[in-house]
Amino acid sequence: MATIIADNIISPLGNTTQANYQAVKAGKSALCQYDPELGIKREELGINVPFPFTASLFTQEQINEISIDGYTLFESLAINSIRKALEECQIPINERTCLVISSTKLGGVQGVQRVQGVQEVQGVQRVQSVQEIAHAVGITTTPIIVCNACISGVSALILGTRLIEMQQYDYVIVCGIDVQSTFIISGFQSLKALSETPCRPFDIDRTGLNLGEAAATVILSKDEKAGSWHITNAAIRNDAFHISSPSPKADGCLMAIETAMKGQNATELALVNAHGTATLYNDQMEARGLSRAGLADIPTNALKGYYGHTMGAAGILETIITIHSLDDHTIIGTKGYNELGVSGNINIVKENTPIREVQGVQEVQGVQKVQGVQKTDFLKIISGFGGCNAAIYVSKKGPTPKSSCERRWKTSHSIVITPQKVVLDNEIIVTHEVLPIKEERKEEMLTFLYKTRINNYPKFYKMDALARLGFIATELLLQKERETEGELNRQDRAVIFFNQSSSEHADKVFLSSISDPENFFPSPSAFVYTLPNIVNGEIAIRNNYRGETAFYILPKKDDDIIRMITQATLLDGYHKSIITGWLEYKSESDFLAELTIVIGYRLENKQKTKIKTIVPDDSVVGIR
Amino acid sequence: MNELILELKEEIIKVLNLEDITPEDIDPKAPLFGAGGLGLDSIDALELIVLLEKRYGIRLASAAEGKTIFTSVENISKYVSENRKR
Repeated sequence: MATIIADNIISPLGNTTQANYQAVKAGKSALCQYDPELGIKREELGINVPFPFTASLFTQEQINEISIDGYTLFESLAINSIRKALEECQIPINERTCLVISSTKLGGVQGVQRVQGVQEVQGVQRVQSVQEIAHAVGITTTPIIVCNACISGVSALILGTRLIEMQQYDYVIVCGIDVQSTFIISGFQSLKALSETPCRPFDIDRTGLNLGEAAATVILSKDEKAGSWHITNAAIRNDAFHISSPSPKADGCLMAIETAMKGQNATELALVNAHGTATLYNDQMEARGLSRAGLADIPTNALKGYYGHTMGAAGILETIITIHSLDDHTIIGTKGYNELGVSGNINIVKENTPIREVQGVQEVQGVQKVQGVQKTDFLKIISGFGGCNAAIYVSKKGPTPKSSCERRWKTSHSIVITPQKVVLDNEIIVTHEVLPIKEERKEEMLTFLYKTRINNYPKFYKMDALARLGFIATELLLQKERETEGELNRQDRAVIFFNQSSSEHADKVFLSSISDPENFFPSPSAFVYTLPNIVNGEIAIRNNYRGETAFYILPKKDDDIIRMITQATLLDGYHKSIITGWLEYKSESDFLAELTIVIGYRLENKQKTKIKTIVPDDSVVGIR
Repeated sequence: MNELILELKEEIIKVLNLEDITPEDIDPKAPLFGAGGLGLDSIDALELIVLLEKRYGIRLASAAEGKTIFTSVENISKYVSENRKR
């Protein structure tokens, strides 16, 4: 559990949480139609796509106000948002304070970012942007970037909560930011996911989503603070169904909700804040998930009608607005919603509604007595590409007792793949010398490995290079595991990866489909892979893994942080094992997969000290 | 017509990365999606929409429209020959 001690939102609706909440409460929306025929020039904003769209974008005036000299729009937004949140709480910025950034595109594509609103080409690496942000706000520890598609924001809150539960840090600053670009808007357009008009979550006439830009920051603390909110339960689960379509049965969403609700009482839920992107499939899936979880009656809202889909910021921004609305005893209405257009008969809140804190009045022994439960808690749910779903239970209640078991792990198998060789469990199994010559050049290592060692999954050829690398590495690891341990059902396995360049290689492939205005045909399949966590989804689908899937970006390969986050993932007791490690693909001659299967096990309380002090087993990798 | 069918088969194999499949493997009357066909999915359908626009200048308004056209290679070729702009 972690306590929320400060927050901030910077969006086209305002530069403070209060300004944002008041605007939303008053029913204002930042969504705007950008159509050359309506005379609104989006080119001035550095976005140039040959079709009309609706989005929530900063105006040039707002950009001028936000921008800090020498920083990109992305960096300026994050720095301002973090500084404003820090002004609210006096926390020390030292080795006990960590920065977690949630973003799907880290300000743009490699080398192309919006500066002062205008698209500019720069020579910087995207991960450097985050180091700039960390430096500007005084962070001395290594910043961690969560790049987990649309669930990134909630995923980052979950990581922050776990790092505090592990006593790894005393404070975690969680900041979600994304800015819009030609790249993202044309990509979503190619997926036919955009609505030309303001979106209508859960409505019968919904036609798609709108994109938005914002920064949102939450500061998490180990310390209790009177009257503050806590993230008490959380889970991430994978559908193992499809890389871009949600499970029609809402399998992953349901599992995430059930875990987040464990030990909680649905009668204390004031609200479910849904993702509600207003695409046909997402909203239907969420409705199915809520109704399967028995939460169909709980008032449910979505905030995309105010902000659009702010991607990496969404999960954090929507959590903050929900917190402030419940503090104001109000459920915010679902702007754009009019008539239920999903099955499952869920309870979508249309207009702002005051919360009745007390359930009912009962007569007890002739005296009227107020009876019932205070509705003080809420559930935030969110889902994204790569098949990932997340749920967090947010409450004003104090800490709940947790099981005192500490979990550790041992490594069962490991693999290293480079363009030169493959090393499986410390044994070299392939070197580049054996690669055959095809069309006057050596066959590429990954294709060679697929053909000679797997060859039964044609989907391989549709994957981008990063996904191919992760897929091959995992397949070889699992072949080894089956050889030694036999065929086992590993549905409860998590898959977490790390790298430095995110989806850089896939970004270049997609960019080539939109860089020529005369030949502007954004490729939907190339766009999907511009999210690095798609590889986690591919592996979950192939192996029917339903555990957590997550992708993290680090300033450099850092085994301590990889171990720390692997340990954090084990805090979710569902995971019996994890496929974890470094997965980087820059080019055909520059890639590295360094993955392991780790098996978690519990240390009972009495055993704990024994193992810590007596058994010097180096396969036991604990974090503390 | 046969030329167009062969051209479409080759284009489909290329844009959808159907590495292990040759034009001869594709029955022009067989369903492209779902079991028994080429096992294509929703992203493939979107990629076929891009193919129609890029190669033949045909713009489809929605993914739903694509569904009615992409039933078989023969059906696509019929639609293309009737609607192509280039």
